[in-house]
Amino acid sequence: MAPSRLTAQAAGVNGKTALRFLLRAFGAAILILVIWRVTTVGLAEGYPASFWISQALNGLVLGGVYALVALGYTLVYGILFMINFAHGEVMMIGGIAGFFALQFSQARGWMEGPWPVVVAALLLIMLFGMAASVLIGVALERLAYRPLRQAPRLVPLISAIGASLFLQYSVLLIFGVSPHSYRKPALISGGMRMGDVFIPYTGAIIFFTSILLMLALYFIIQRTKLGRAMRAVAEDRATASLMGVDVNAVIVITFMLGSALAGAAGVMLGFHNTVVKFNSGFVPGLKAFTAAVLGGIGNIPGAMFGALILGLIEAIGPSALGIPTEYKDVIAFSLLVLILIFRPSGLFGEVLSEKKA
Amino acid sequence: MLILDSVHTYYGHIHALKGISLTVNQGEIVTLIGSNGAGKTTTLNTISGVLPARAGAIYLQENARSQGPAPPGRDYGSDIRLDRLHAHQVARLGVSQSPEGRKIFARLSVQENLAMGAFARADADGIRQDLERVFQLFPRLQERLSQPGGTLSGGEQQMLAIGRALMSRPRILLLDEPSMGLAPILVQQIFQIIREINDQGMTILLVEQNAQAALHIANRGYVLETGNIVLSGNAQELLANPQVAEAYLGI
Repeated sequence: MAPSRLTAQAAGVNGKTALRFLLRAFGAAILILVIWRVTTVGLAEGYPASFWISQALNGLVLGGVYALVALGYTLVYGILFMINFAHGEVMMIGGIAGFFALQFSQARGWMEGPWPVVVAALLLIMLFGMAASVLIGVALERLAYRPLRQAPRLVPLISAIGASLFLQYSVLLIFGVSPHSYRKPALISGGMRMGDVFIPYTGAIIFFTSILLMLALYFIIQRTKLGRAMRAVAEDRATASLMGVDVNAVIVITFMLGSALAGAAGVMLGFHNTVVKFNSGFVPGLKAFTAAVLGGIGNIPGAMFGALILGLIEAIGPSALGIPTEYKDVIAFSLLVLILIFRPSGLFGEVLSEKKA
Repeated sequence: MLILDSVHTYYGHIHALKGISLTVNQGEIVTLIGSNGAGKTTTLNTISGVLPARAGAIYLQENARSQGPAPPGRDYGSDIRLDRLHAHQVARLGVSQSPEGRKIFARLSVQENLAMGAFARADADGIRQDLERVFQLFPRLQERLSQPGGTLSGGEQQMLAIGRALMSRPRILLLDEPSMGLAPILVQQIFQIIREINDQGMTILLVEQNAQAALHIANRGYVLETGNIVLSGNAQELLANPQVAEAYLGI
């Protein structure tokens, strides 16, 4: 018995090293291909520096929005160890709600008023979108996830995908298939020119609002009693409850925070893309998920940086690789596959423990 | 102060506690001893509300206030049925557990761990006083305040777990195997501190496998075997009991 087991073990070890070698070779091949494409095609085009800077700035704007959504994935994962695949729809509903708030403001003429009125109205629109998303996020937790908390891990995941489709098609049924278009108020439709680089006001506003919201979240998590309780619950639910922490309440608050950020992202993406419709949360949701995985899911700074990096790669990638811009989604999702193969714990993630893996 | 009246607890179909009755009076150290799997931790977790009791009752009596008046925002009501409450509600009533294996929040700093102990309190002054008291008991913790809890040694983590449990200013302290995995000299030190905490008026229910050490500082003891209490009495009597000596004291 003993010798045969030994050989079997040895074969297993050999198989593993062989697989690892193959993976390394595969990774190296991709890297070489990318470098070859970039040097022979992307750089050979001879775009001016201002072009690359504009692309990068676009990437940061998109990355900021992704970051807000990615934080929702990572927060929920940190506490429940589940991926809330309906999170993109939570964002989309924020965008839809924001659209109606915008329409309401336009009907009252607030958008043509003096600048403080416009700013206040924009804030209100954003808050309305956030509120709608929070409502949906809390409902999701209560109806789709909490009843399944003791179930095997795959079950809430399936429930999340179901919820995602349910929300998409509910919006389709209620608001129709045609996109709702966001009309920017005159105050923020222009932009500024710095040398050869044009920076649209909306882009700048979106980026700085995202950063502000991220800092606010980081402050809540790191510096407040609530944040401390959230971190404690993420580490050990039972022990946190021994400290008097109402774990369910903390979970609900986590969903509220994540959904609020997603709602803000939905409204801003509405202004950025100029339209929202029933499925406009799906692809950005997946991108944000990619960003969260890129940064190491469950890791809050990781989600922020992962999203900014993804935004940059997506914006620069098509030109750098010399492929049409329509294929930028391919770049993002190829990246997701590659991270999952080569570094499943993400760029900033720790090695997954037994409990979380 | 704390009364368990024929409490039954199950893990799925496994009958873990088969009608446990015990009493802890104000100011006492009561110890629950027994071998691995006898149900000691299950008993504490049932009291704390982490596990539901399927039958029986657990009462927390109102007449006993070990630490003076309730801190603001906390209500010490009259006889309360703990077995109907959730874990966080039990904790808020002043039943504080230092769990088995210490369960320090590894990524929170020592300071944050202690702050978690005081989570349900809103009286900043009282919290500061209690923090001082914890530092008097465990000066080592003060040196390590900003370190992540996970970087502490086993003994320090045990101190932190007890300190964290004290930070809620509890009426009764439940200690689950504070000697687990510690060097003998540390065990001695920890038990001395438990004695000290008790001398300051804290009521303690101490679960231990180290029966010798536990019975030496306790007033009374219960012996648990496969979910039943098989023996109880004064700590001195139990120490002298030949059955106990043979089974648990390793004599």
